[in-house]
Amino acid sequence: MSAFVQYTLQGLAAGGFYALAALGLAVIFGVLGVVNFSHGACYMLGAVAAAVLLDVLHVHFWVALVVVPMLLFLVGMAMERLFVRWLLRLDPLYNFLLTFGLSLILVDLVKRRYGVSGLPYERPAGLDGQLQIGGLGLSTYQVFACVFSFVICGLVWLVLTKTRVGMIVRASTEDAERTRALGINVGRWITPVFGFGIALAGLAGVMAAPFRAVTADMGSNFVIILFAVVVIGGLGSILGAVVAGFLVGLVEAYGQAYAPTFAQVAIFLLMAAVVLFRPAGLFGREETA
Amino acid sequence: MRSKKPVAAVAVAVCGSLALAACGAAGGPSAAGGKISNDKVVLGLLNDQSGVYKDLSGPNSKVAIEMAIEDYKTKFGDKAVAKTIEIVSADHQNKPDIANTKAQEMYDRQNADVILDVPTSSAALAVANQAKAKKKLFIDVGAATTALTGKSCNKYTFHWAYDTHMLANGTGAATVRQGGKVWSIVYPDYAFGQDMNKSFTAAVEGAGGTVQQSIATPFPNDNFATFITRAGSTNPKVIATMAAGGDLINFVKQFNQAGMKDTTLAVGLMFITDIHSLGVDQFAGTTFTDAWYWNFDAKNRAWADKFKAKTNTRPTFAHAANYSAALQYLEAVQRAGTDNADAVVKELEGKDLNDIFLRNGKVRAADHRVLHDAYLAKVKAKGEVKQDWDYEKVLATIPADKAFGPVSVDCKM
Amino acid sequence: MTQPLQTSDTSGPPDPPAVPEDLSTSDTPGGSETSGGHPPLFAGSGHSPLRWIMLAVGLVTALALPWFIYPPVAMDIAAWALFAISVDLLLGYTGLLSFGHAAFWGSSAYATGLIATHWGLPFPVAILGGMLFAMAIAVPIGYLSVRRTGIYFAMVTLAFAQMIYFIANQLSDLTGGENGLQGIPKSFFGIESVETDSFYFYYAAIGLILLGIWAAWRVVHSPFGRVLVAIRDNPARARALGYDVDRYKVIVFVLSAGLAGLAGGVFAISHGFASLQELNWTTSGKVVLITVLGGIGTLWGGVVGAAVVTMLEDWLASSGFEGTGIILGSIFVVIVLLFRRGIWGTARDLLQRLIDRPRDRGR
Repeated sequence: MSAFVQYTLQGLAAGGFYALAALGLAVIFGVLGVVNFSHGACYMLGAVAAAVLLDVLHVHFWVALVVVPMLLFLVGMAMERLFVRWLLRLDPLYNFLLTFGLSLILVDLVKRRYGVSGLPYERPAGLDGQLQIGGLGLSTYQVFACVFSFVICGLVWLVLTKTRVGMIVRASTEDAERTRALGINVGRWITPVFGFGIALAGLAGVMAAPFRAVTADMGSNFVIILFAVVVIGGLGSILGAVVAGFLVGLVEAYGQAYAPTFAQVAIFLLMAAVVLFRPAGLFGREETA
Repeated sequence: MRSKKPVAAVAVAVCGSLALAACGAAGGPSAAGGKISNDKVVLGLLNDQSGVYKDLSGPNSKVAIEMAIEDYKTKFGDKAVAKTIEIVSADHQNKPDIANTKAQEMYDRQNADVILDVPTSSAALAVANQAKAKKKLFIDVGAATTALTGKSCNKYTFHWAYDTHMLANGTGAATVRQGGKVWSIVYPDYAFGQDMNKSFTAAVEGAGGTVQQSIATPFPNDNFATFITRAGSTNPKVIATMAAGGDLINFVKQFNQAGMKDTTLAVGLMFITDIHSLGVDQFAGTTFTDAWYWNFDAKNRAWADKFKAKTNTRPTFAHAANYSAALQYLEAVQRAGTDNADAVVKELEGKDLNDIFLRNGKVRAADHRVLHDAYLAKVKAKGEVKQDWDYEKVLATIPADKAFGPVSVDCKM
Repeated sequence: MTQPLQTSDTSGPPDPPAVPEDLSTSDTPGGSETSGGHPPLFAGSGHSPLRWIMLAVGLVTALALPWFIYPPVAMDIAAWALFAISVDLLLGYTGLLSFGHAAFWGSSAYATGLIATHWGLPFPVAILGGMLFAMAIAVPIGYLSVRRTGIYFAMVTLAFAQMIYFIANQLSDLTGGENGLQGIPKSFFGIESVETDSFYFYYAAIGLILLGIWAAWRVVHSPFGRVLVAIRDNPARARALGYDVDRYKVIVFVLSAGLAGLAGGVFAISHGFASLQELNWTTSGKVVLITVLGGIGTLWGGVVGAAVVTMLEDWLASSGFEGTGIILGSIFVVIVLLFRRGIWGTARDLLQRLIDRPRDRGR
């Protein structure tokens, strides 16, 4: 039984990364209609930035959690201004391809600058060892990852529901034309929203840095799983992205624990099933094909 | 009228291509291999120059080979058989298909007489096939698979440095002898991982230990948390990971996060570059088997200083092994008086060889497995590290005749 | 909300290119609108002499290639070209971006390899076998995937391809797993020069590739091809006209998979090797990159794109340069941003305009 609790925690912790990054992806898709292939590369940039800041400026993990997403916010805005915006009027496949190309460049730039063996990242103070909760020894780090992702998702949810900009984001996600018709300058929010989505990916990256190898390739398979997550949750649904993120994390953990041969295929089977039987995803609205 | 056009087009095409073919020079059917290929000995270096193993071997191996050429020339002076020696190098990006193509190109187009290095087992097996087809030498340094001296063994292929047997006999047996008798093994579910699992289970049980669990993980994988929990659930003394490269770094980080204080981590395959990239404290206390360590004795240190002067970093075992392979190849050419592959192979088989890398070295004729001393090492604690790359404390030397496995029944040369 | 690959909305941030983003100025049969209002240079049914000249040049290049480029690399160019053409059949002509086409290239590579290794049949037979295998698995995948369009289609195909990748990894006794399928023989009726020398092998195999390209060309320039374009431009209208849109999509999907399988089989025999890389999503990404680079909806663009990418990669690998991804990615980004017609598409349009201008002046 205690093993099951461990697996659940591990699933929620891993799911937290997916949820945060998928939240960013969903917000970007909702407002811009862009499926950002470079989301995995941005996650990697977050981790790399944290490692580099630690190495060069001795910026600790807790500070990096705040600083790195701000940096990536700027990077995201630059990406949108320089590249993405030119193709927003076209079929979303073009931006899909564009961001694919950008991810190739970003990954290789990091490889050239920092090599491939991975950057070292010390275990942050306070996240070592285990917490004794209800007689079980649970990894402090995983408890933190889990709780922190929940908190951030919750905060984002509050922003989306309680603030004006949040309302604009939700309205544009549902129906951009109508929102514009109501006199809201959606265009003004496109760049910051893109930046925000990238910042979330970067935040997931910083969180991952103590836990995963910080290599240039760390985002490449991550982004494929992210696609599965947002498709399962529903491409246009923000709540769906978060729920699906944690769900996929759990599926991964339980799969690895109880049926390892199928663990990797399971997520894609789930994705294919969702697309075929409930194409809008678990929480999305039906697309008019 | 229209129907004549395609016929005309094809006719023009055929004539045109024949004409062009007559003028073409760069390609063309490959010439038969000459006796002394083009008056020069060409050493081919094929390895990972941009990926996970770039720091392990990579472009700096070219420097190591250059050092070998220098030493060869210094030793034989005017009497050197190989008067002109060239190095050609290519990046196989750890992909077997690219390695396959590059090896073919090196042998055919660049007239390489020998290909060196080739990390990543799948790539190494591809190059071994090419070596057999082209009847030219291949000395593998970087890959682990025992298939090179097993199912895929052939007359022209030599396995110079480490393999999965050496790792298991070293780390496995030695750790058991030091008290770590009860093991859980976590291995990636592909050929290399399965090979390692088998080798380690045999070595641990052979030394009197027990393996409680052998847990297969998907490959590649970056989240080992559940597997670590499973491995720890039976309370072993030792949890061993057979992951390599980026996966290993993930595993170690997550193992440390799991905070299992009473369990030792044993690493099947570890390179000094892994320690460097993760940081000494993540690996502190881990035992592993190394084929060669630069700070082991004065001889190694001297060579490492020469290497550092040229590359500004310390050599890994791969650099030393490439140096050794190149040097021994050239000396074999010297003895044979020609670079003809069959003659050189005869001058290597069964010979006892010694240099900075090969201590008590011998080339086993039956399967072209090169035997040499190996080392059981332990990662130093942060405070013990006195200089850059000074990460290892050598606990014991594993003598050449014990370090490697017996001749495989699958090898039919 | 998901539209086919053209834009109808011109308000908003300015588009850098001046030409309208209408993919239907590709090789659509029966002529199409050009700026000069003349019958276009490359009209499918045209009697245009330039078309036959281009064809002759293409054939000459294909036949003379191994004299200028190392033959295995020349074979790679040919294989990737056919692969890209198969993707373009779906993307440029039917409006479906498949981001999982490596599933067919790769599974055919393995099937071909297994047939050649275990049964020793001549390689054209093995390649045929691989191609049929790819088409067989394309039937269920296509049937399930075509229910979605646009980005969803891309993601579903990606998901299926990943599944096949993992399955192949699991069946490592059959496929060799990480090591790949090694030592695939080039059996060819005992003709030793073909079996051992890659130069002669090229000539034995190029016929298969040319056959595949010809097949694609025939599909496009046929009534079936016209229906595909209609589906691309307006599926609702096509359906209203009585065409079973989904059935057409599945058929072209299977055909495209067959061509990809043909290319993959040739690739496997040429290298003597089939590896998991051939099934990886990065291979799907690479062929999409090649197709876009060459020019979506141009068919021949695939040849150009394959040549550029293959030679670039080969050259970069030999010169020890570390930034293949940067170069390829940058070229790709520039193409997607500025030259959406791709290299071949842009060149062809320039040629068209150059030839139209003197005609205009002559009026």
